[in-house]
Amino acid sequence: MRGFGAFLGKELRETVHTWRIWVLPAFILFAALSSPLITFLMPTLVDRLGGMQQGFAISVPDPTAAAAYIEYLGNLGELVMFALVIAYGGIVSAEVRSGTAALALAKPLSRGAFVLAKWLSQLLVIAVAAVAGTALCIALTAALLGVGPASEAVVAVALWFVYAIVILSAMVLLSAVLSAPAAAAGAGIGVYASFAVLAQFEATSRLTPAGLMPAAQAVLNGGPAQWQAPVATGIALSAACLAAAVWRFSRREI
Amino acid sequence: MRLVAASVSTESPLVVALLAVLVVVELGLLAWALIDLARRPADRVAGGSRLVWLLLCLFVQLIGPALYLVIGRVRAAPTVAPTGQAVGGGHVARAAAALYDAAGSPARGPDGGAPAGSAAGEGGAPAVELSGVCKVFRTAAALDGLSLSVPEGSVFGFLGPNGAGKTTTLRILAGLARPTSGAARVLGHDVTEAGGDVRAVIGFLPDVPAFYKWMTAPQYLRFAGSLFGLRGDVLEARVAALLDLAGLTEVGTRIGGFSRGMKQRLGVAQALVNAPRLLLLDEPTSALDPIGRREVLDMVAALRGRTTVFFSTHILADVERVCDTVAIIDHGRVAAHAPIDELRLRRGGLSRLAVEVDEPQRLAAALEGAAWLRAIEVAEDGGLRLATDDLETAQRELPALVARLGLALRRLESDELSLEDVFVDLVEGERR
Repeated sequence: MRGFGAFLGKELRETVHTWRIWVLPAFILFAALSSPLITFLMPTLVDRLGGMQQGFAISVPDPTAAAAYIEYLGNLGELVMFALVIAYGGIVSAEVRSGTAALALAKPLSRGAFVLAKWLSQLLVIAVAAVAGTALCIALTAALLGVGPASEAVVAVALWFVYAIVILSAMVLLSAVLSAPAAAAGAGIGVYASFAVLAQFEATSRLTPAGLMPAAQAVLNGGPAQWQAPVATGIALSAACLAAAVWRFSRREI
Repeated sequence: MRLVAASVSTESPLVVALLAVLVVVELGLLAWALIDLARRPADRVAGGSRLVWLLLCLFVQLIGPALYLVIGRVRAAPTVAPTGQAVGGGHVARAAAALYDAAGSPARGPDGGAPAGSAAGEGGAPAVELSGVCKVFRTAAALDGLSLSVPEGSVFGFLGPNGAGKTTTLRILAGLARPTSGAARVLGHDVTEAGGDVRAVIGFLPDVPAFYKWMTAPQYLRFAGSLFGLRGDVLEARVAALLDLAGLTEVGTRIGGFSRGMKQRLGVAQALVNAPRLLLLDEPTSALDPIGRREVLDMVAALRGRTTVFFSTHILADVERVCDTVAIIDHGRVAAHAPIDELRLRRGGLSRLAVEVDEPQRLAAALEGAAWLRAIEVAEDGGLRLATDDLETAQRELPALVARLGLALRRLESDELSLEDVFVDLVEGERR
């Protein structure tokens, strides 16, 4: 892990100095702001829509804080996760393609440190953005709809964060294996879709990382949530992805 | 100075914090306005239309980003700041020498072994030793049994036409690629096994160095030094010395705005950040103007004895100017490997003489059958070009023959074989 600290510092500075700082945090903040707003405004919007057509009526339940949190979680699980897959298609390979990796890796920076510093820096970005976004969402929801099940929302976002770790680790592996960022992003969408399918089956939802988002939704809905096995297998799968990424990248020619 | 100040200010934590506050305030205002619009009855909204105000709020948000995306982005200019040309003369050479002197001793070997400048690598090993190195890409062989040895402390010229395998060899030595077969050793250690330990004592400049465009030159050099474990005052002193060497001290712009020559000079500087025992340079002068080229060559010459320089190029004049020993490769094999003078002598085998007389045809006819003559041709200027394997006899007998024929001798001089002659002869010979 030679050079890990120095390269992690570079990655974090790069995150601040380039477009990367804006992508995921922007999506998360958008979800944090739009979810309570849409929930709050939905009855008004539907009322206006229904009022425009004679004899057409839609019944919308009163907006609640729980509904705003469910909307926020849904956005995190779909919109933000999709952005994550696209943004990190070149998390490892982009530097190889641009040639900047050659100068860094000709110095005593280990390939493992190169891969893991990239993973950790982006994990920190996601974590900070998730904390800020969730705080903003809870504050806005409290202003519009009351506090509601805020602690359950925090637990649900924590489960989403484990899911984000799994997807991020998978993207690191895909980007270490595939030279083209678009190909890695395409494969990442395949991984995301696979989890969505696996989440439909009781056994795989209960035992694999595919069950993380259903568990998060169950927490928000106040029902029994089976999160232990999905969290454990999610962390194990992430570790396996990172180990495979380091192994593959160590053998890759720059 | 204004550009420097602007560059620094955008990186300061205060500005970043201010930008973050602005973003939060802007998003908060937008949210507040939208909430208020949703709650306020239409008759208490100016103009009576909430939709108009909603569109206005959202439209105004679009203007700034749209303007920036359409007209705000400027492609990287070749030079948006002082070009940072280093001062002429021996400044660069002195700076390079001072760097090693200030470092005390160059980077230690993989096992903390002898400092650079010592006569040999660990156990007297050569600085670079390649034994039967092959590198195959799919079906094409880039290197085909390449073997050579480079003594420590020398300036070694690595010549070859495009596609001969020079860059592949350097990538293997830098640990960026692996040989398909054969062994590549640096300072006595196998590059594929020693890994980071070997890379700690080398400096590498690729043919087209790529940098992080958002960094400035000092930031990049600090980053490069930190990868070698340099810290604090030592790192700052090294960075200052290298900026001076590269002529980039006054340049505050980001690397994305550098010209190719500036990038090349920064590339040389970053390769020296650890005062390496082996400096691998892949065509370091290819992007430089004549002044920059002279400075890099002066620097390379100044490093002789302080470190080993492995200098890949296809510019023959550069090699003739600074290198002690040269290897010429073609099709992944060594076509010749020797000190430059020896190579000229050995490859020529024959010495050349340029002769000008008033009747060259008569002299040519009279020379037929001379024991020392190996070849004769009439040049475009009407003079004769002779090739001989016995220069001393030729120089003694030729004037006598001219006198016997009653011809006027206008010119008689030895025409030394250039490295270019050797190179072209070897490469074309290989291809035949």
